[in-house]
Amino acid sequence: MTVIRAALDEMFAVIGQMVGSVFRHGLPLTDKIAARTALTNFFLHIHPVRVRRSWIRMSYTLCLGGLSFFLFIVLTVTGLFLMFYYVPSTSHAYQDMRDLQFVVTFGGVIRNMHRWAAHAMVITVWLHMARVFLTGSYKKPREFNWGVGTLLLLITLLLSFTGYLLPWDQLSIWAVTVGTNMAKYAPIAGPYTRYLLIGGRVVGDNALLRFYVLHVVGLPLAAFLLMVVHFWRVRKDGFSGGL
Amino acid sequence: MATEARDRIAARDRVEQRRRPAEVPSTVRDDSEDEMVVSFPEFVFKEFIAAVAMTAFLILVSVWLQAPLLGQANPGMTPNPSKAPWYFLGLQELLSRFPPLMAGVAFPTFVIVLMILVPFLDRNPSRRPSERKVAIILFALYTAIVVALVIIGTFFRGHEFVWDWGWVLGNPQTCGGSPC
Repeated sequence: MTVIRAALDEMFAVIGQMVGSVFRHGLPLTDKIAARTALTNFFLHIHPVRVRRSWIRMSYTLCLGGLSFFLFIVLTVTGLFLMFYYVPSTSHAYQDMRDLQFVVTFGGVIRNMHRWAAHAMVITVWLHMARVFLTGSYKKPREFNWGVGTLLLLITLLLSFTGYLLPWDQLSIWAVTVGTNMAKYAPIAGPYTRYLLIGGRVVGDNALLRFYVLHVVGLPLAAFLLMVVHFWRVRKDGFSGGL
Repeated sequence: MATEARDRIAARDRVEQRRRPAEVPSTVRDDSEDEMVVSFPEFVFKEFIAAVAMTAFLILVSVWLQAPLLGQANPGMTPNPSKAPWYFLGLQELLSRFPPLMAGVAFPTFVIVLMILVPFLDRNPSRRPSERKVAIILFALYTAIVVALVIIGTFFRGHEFVWDWGWVLGNPQTCGGSPC
C-alpha cells in the first residue's frame, strides 16, 4: 500500500512540476502575481507590465489596432489552410477554388472567412487611422509611428489586392487588369512597372504566380516587420492616453 | 524572482516619472495621476473579448454569406463594366473624371506623401478636439470624399462605367450583356 501511495505522490509531483514549468506563477489573483506573469511571459510581454486605466479605455481606443492585428492572425491561419489546396497556375487555380467551395470539408467556410476578414481588415485599419487622427495621437513624439502606420495601411491594401487575383475567376482577372492599368499612367516608368508587376502585357500565368508569391510571402513579411516596429514604438513613445 | 520583478517595475516607474513632464505638451490632459492597473489580466482581458467577438462575427458571416466566385477567368471576354476592388474604386472613379496622369499617379502619390507628413504639417500642439477644428474638418471632408467616390464607383457605375441608377431602381445588373 505504501509503495502505491509513494508512486502516486511521485506521479503528482511530476505532473505538478510539468504544469508549473509552463504556468510558473499560478492564477493572477493578486497584482503582484499578475505583474510577475506578464514580466516573464513572452507573449504577454508585448504589453507594458502596468498601464494607466485611461490608456486602455475601450471608448477611446475602440480596440481597433488590436483588432487589425488579430485579423492579420486570422488571415494568416485561414490562408495557411487555403494554401494546402490552392495551386497558383491558370490551369489549376479556378478548379481548386471550386473544390474548396464544394468538396473540401469546411473549405467554403475557411475561404469565406479569409475573404471577409480581408475586407474587415481594410476597414479596421482605416478606422484605426481615423481614430489616431481624430485624437491627435500622431503628434510629438509619435510622428514616426504614424508614418509606419501609413505604410501598414498601404500594405494592407496591397495584400488585399494581390489576393483578389488568386481565385482566377472573371471578377479577379478583370479587377486586376483594371487595377494594374492604373500603374501604366505613371510617366516613363509606368508601362515598365506594370510589365514588372504582372510579368507580361496581359494578366496571365506570370501575373498569377507573382501575385501569389507577393500575397503569401513578400507582403506578409513586410507587414510583419513593420508591425513589430509599430508595436515597439508604441511602447517606446508611450500610449497616447485619454484626451 | 519576486524581488527582481518588483525592482524592475519600480525602476521603470522611476524612469517614466523622470521622462513624463518633458514630453507632454501643456495642452494635453495630465494623466500622471490616473490609476495604474496591471496590463495582465486587465488589458489582456479586453483584447481577448474583442478577439472572441470578432471571431464569432467572422464565423457567423462566413457561414451565411458566400464569397463571390464567378465563371473561370477568360482573357477573351471583358465584362462591362470592369471594376477594381472596392477600396480602389475611388481611384477608378477619379480616373473616369480626370486625366490619367493626374488621377492615377499624381493624386495617390500626393495623398500618401501628405499622410506621412501630417504630423509635421499640423503645428497645433493641442490634442483636444475643440482646439483642432480645422484638422478635424479637413479630415472629415477627406473621408466624406473617399466614401462618396467608393459608393459611386460601387453602386452607380454601370455599362461603360457611365452613371447608372440601375442598382437603385432595381434593374438587374449585367456583365457583358449577360446577368452577373
